[in-house]
Amino acid sequence: MKTVIRNTTVADKLLFLTLIAASVAGIFFSREAMPQGPDIVITVDGKPQYTLPRDKDRLVSIPGPFGDTVVEIKDGKVRVKEAHCPNRLCEKQGWISRGAIVCLPNHIVITVGGKAGDLPRGIDAVTG
Amino acid sequence: MKETRHAEQRAAILLAVLLLFAVSCSKSPGVYRKTKPLMDTLVTITVVAGSDKEADAAIEKAFSVIEQFGDKIDFFKDTSELSAINRNAGVNPVKVSPETLGVIERAIYISGISDGAFDPTIGPEIKMWNFYKKIRPSDDAIRNNLSLVNYRNIIVNRDKSTVFLRRKGMLMDLGGIAKGYAADLALADLRQSGIGAGIVAAAGDIRAFGLKPDRTPWNVGIKNPRQKSDADDLMATARLSNKAVSTSGDYERYFMEDGRRYHHILDPKTGYPAGQCRSVTVISDDGIFADGFTTAVFVLGPEKGMKLVRDSGVDAVIVDKDGVIHTTPGIKKMVTFEDGH
Repeated sequence: MKTVIRNTTVADKLLFLTLIAASVAGIFFSREAMPQGPDIVITVDGKPQYTLPRDKDRLVSIPGPFGDTVVEIKDGKVRVKEAHCPNRLCEKQGWISRGAIVCLPNHIVITVGGKAGDLPRGIDAVTG
Repeated sequence: MKETRHAEQRAAILLAVLLLFAVSCSKSPGVYRKTKPLMDTLVTITVVAGSDKEADAAIEKAFSVIEQFGDKIDFFKDTSELSAINRNAGVNPVKVSPETLGVIERAIYISGISDGAFDPTIGPEIKMWNFYKKIRPSDDAIRNNLSLVNYRNIIVNRDKSTVFLRRKGMLMDLGGIAKGYAADLALADLRQSGIGAGIVAAAGDIRAFGLKPDRTPWNVGIKNPRQKSDADDLMATARLSNKAVSTSGDYERYFMEDGRRYHHILDPKTGYPAGQCRSVTVISDDGIFADGFTTAVFVLGPEKGMKLVRDSGVDAVIVDKDGVIHTTPGIKKMVTFEDGH
């Protein structure tokens, strides 16, 4: 081992250090590049309250200022089944299998397939 | 000799460690992003800033600008200025804030140059449709409400800062233009906070300014109007700096009946969904014009729509009802289409 270390040049040592730095950085970059976590996240008042797998059908009732909002997960999709807010835009949005449903009056955001605002690789925003 | 060599090696290693440390601690500008539910959608603001703290303060301030504006022009909120205008249709002019006056004046301007293809007084028609429950109003109901749809009956008094809808029953809906304007307001606020580059994305209404830290423009994906999978299927990517981009499509809110697609972009002259396009993307200098023009061009169709955008000096990508893509000459420099488009 000592011989190996003695035989390495300055360039070898620099390369070794760079490789260590690159692998440590890789841990953080790969975490950033690949969104972790469950499939369906329900955020209430800005805090994630429910983290649910999309492959299990269920109904979730979430209390809010305009009464209970009923969220339904079925066949890998999610919708707001019942809402009592004034405009009920969340209910009108229907089933989604990706993206987000926002109910502003009840302070609820439901996201599927990653965090709210997730973007495809190399893209800074999406229109459409 | 040997010792000198060892000393040199030690010095080189120390230098390398110090360099790595210096690189990791240097305060080069970074990209910071935050998303918040506002205006019944998700708003994402991305900024280039020197620190997390600087970015966070600027983004939160811009969010509050959007929130305040959104509250003023909320169609569903009783306390909004827009609701007051609608309640007083045919009765009284209503005093409004400069932001509300600004968005309404620009809405009237776009209505005028598009000969009513965009019309914010479409409210009485749009409120009869429910695209989620597949409710289509009767032909008679659509015809009856058409007389209430006319942007020429919005009376703005700039000196008194008032807005008046001339006929009782008129309803103004600023949904086709408000998010673009919100992006404009937020961008102005970010600049005031000292931010030199970033993106404000009020859902698909986007304002990009400055350049990324690597001195390249921002990449904005344009959705394919006929998604092949659950993933965001992009038709093209636009490279933008100091530009706004918006898209309107027949896939956002719609239902199918007897093989026909009924969607939320109504032709103000007929009250029925406009049928000549699948999607329209407009790139302009201001968010409000990008947003307003997408609806106008969608309703006008590819031929008249192209004339409007050319005459107005903005760029557009139109996907017509058959999936054929039409573009203005300026698009070539900014947009790269994916294979198969």
